[in-house]
Amino acid sequence: MRRWQLALAGSGFVLSLLVPLVVHSDYQLQVLFRIYLFAALGLAWNLVGGYAGQLSLGHAAYFGAGAYGLALFTRAGMPLWAALVMLVGLAMLFALLIGGVSFRLRGPYFALATIAFAEVLHAAAKNLPRVTGGDVGVPVPALFHTHANRSFYLCAVLLTAATTAATFLISRSRFGYYLMAIREDQETALSVGVNAARTKLHALLVSAAFTALGGALYGSLFLFIVPDQVLSIDISNEIAIVAMLGGAGTLAGPMVGAAVLESASEIFKTIFQEAHLLIYGLLLIVVVLFLPEGIMGGVEAIVRRRK
Amino acid sequence: MDFFTTLQAVVNGVLTGALYALVGMGMALIFGVMRIVNFAHGTFMMLGMYATYVLFVQAHVVPYYSFPLVALGMYGLGYLIYMALLRPIHGQSDFMQILLTLGIGLAITDAIQLVFGADYHQINFPLLEKNLHLGSHITVNAPWVVSFGIALVTGGGLYFFVMHTMSGRAARAIAQNRYAAPLMGIHLHRVQAFWFGLGVSAAAVAGSLLLPVFYLYPGVGDQFTLKAFVIVVLGGMESIVGAAMAGVLLGVVESLTSLYWGNEWALAVDFAIFLLVLSLRPSGIFGRQKA
Repeated sequence: MRRWQLALAGSGFVLSLLVPLVVHSDYQLQVLFRIYLFAALGLAWNLVGGYAGQLSLGHAAYFGAGAYGLALFTRAGMPLWAALVMLVGLAMLFALLIGGVSFRLRGPYFALATIAFAEVLHAAAKNLPRVTGGDVGVPVPALFHTHANRSFYLCAVLLTAATTAATFLISRSRFGYYLMAIREDQETALSVGVNAARTKLHALLVSAAFTALGGALYGSLFLFIVPDQVLSIDISNEIAIVAMLGGAGTLAGPMVGAAVLESASEIFKTIFQEAHLLIYGLLLIVVVLFLPEGIMGGVEAIVRRRK
Repeated sequence: MDFFTTLQAVVNGVLTGALYALVGMGMALIFGVMRIVNFAHGTFMMLGMYATYVLFVQAHVVPYYSFPLVALGMYGLGYLIYMALLRPIHGQSDFMQILLTLGIGLAITDAIQLVFGADYHQINFPLLEKNLHLGSHITVNAPWVVSFGIALVTGGGLYFFVMHTMSGRAARAIAQNRYAAPLMGIHLHRVQAFWFGLGVSAAAVAGSLLLPVFYLYPGVGDQFTLKAFVIVVLGGMESIVGAAMAGVLLGVVESLTSLYWGNEWALAVDFAIFLLVLSLRPSGIFGRQKA
């Protein structure tokens, strides 16, 4: 990272922390919370989907593990810190199961297995009312009692900062180069001694841990969760679209993607109400056909041509 | 539960499974010829259902007569979508193709919701009340028998078409070696567009046949996309015979799951089987083992 980029990231972080001094409206803070939350989720997805090039369409599994983990572990009498540790552990256990089954296989199997696993959890959450409250849902403890919107916003900013830092460190490490080598050419990576299955699994574990924290934050903001809200395939899609739109495999991409997608979806909600997901589909088509490297990739290409 | 209750569930499962088989065959065709996992497959089935619904409500045509028209229209739509959207990303990674079909599915589903609203619809005509008795214990609803017959003929026709026509041979040549086939004078994109359209219309026919016995809403296709994944993985990804058998098997498994555990577990059991097959025998139950 060049010095100006570090300065940009640092000042962006400080400015983000200062936003609540200017913005007081609950609605605006909630939209900003959503942008930062999905930036963090997109960054976490990016480790697997962007750097390692493995398409996960089941990140709702880890997101839901975070939200339900917070609700169920605290209900079982655990203190908050223990519940947070446990919910991260739960998400990593899920990642271990999915990755263990599907990373040995080539082609579209990983994407299909991630969806299948998330849908099994979705169905289990719906159909086990004694454990999860079923379709009725389950209350989630409030992480903050005063100035809730402001505190949740700041938490989302911190989570984004932590995920960005982790992504930066990984992308400069041996581990990160292994991931990119696997994305570019798995055969070649294998031939120079990279254990592809294990490296991909490690990336998925880190990704799942951050995604679970995001899920816990989201669940606690709503105070009450139902399966269709935190475990549905829509969440998985939204996370993947954020990263792809901004630019998979780039550090700034998910942040840009989250800002664009969440603002666009707020505008669409007022115009199309229920059908606002239309924008997701259209954006996906546009990205794949015209911007395969996302907004950041497109910007980079323009900068390169100018030089 | 006694023997006849179980047998009744198996019979119901086979009848439902025939429609699953049709959906799965369409998916396997598309995967076999194009290496594309069609994430919009259930969406095309849903479009078929809406087209059938509109024909029924506006023109009073019963689905069992209107399905060929729906199939033809959806074939055209599939052909256009291939030429306009899938052809430009020909040869790109699974990753991009999955995202593109996912996007097409999301966009169509929400466009339908914008036009028709999110309400549930059902259709009703006299045949729905008729039941056939097989012996003293087994009863089948007449529409299911009709749809089973049509699915059998359509699926059989599809198989014949793949195995015994020039176009089918071209498709199988592409499935075997997509680089050599064009050198043998096969027009890759024209053949792929043709079979993509055919795969889409197979899903749409299943939708037409399902409409009388199911309910209709914009998101109805999503569960069938997921089921189609399970079916093609069980069937060995590109084998249409495998997909047909896996479809029937899935219907029976779901029906028995509903009987013993409750309907809400059906999809979860589908996926549990799917994950089990992926981890133990990735080439599918009915597929040939490959390296």
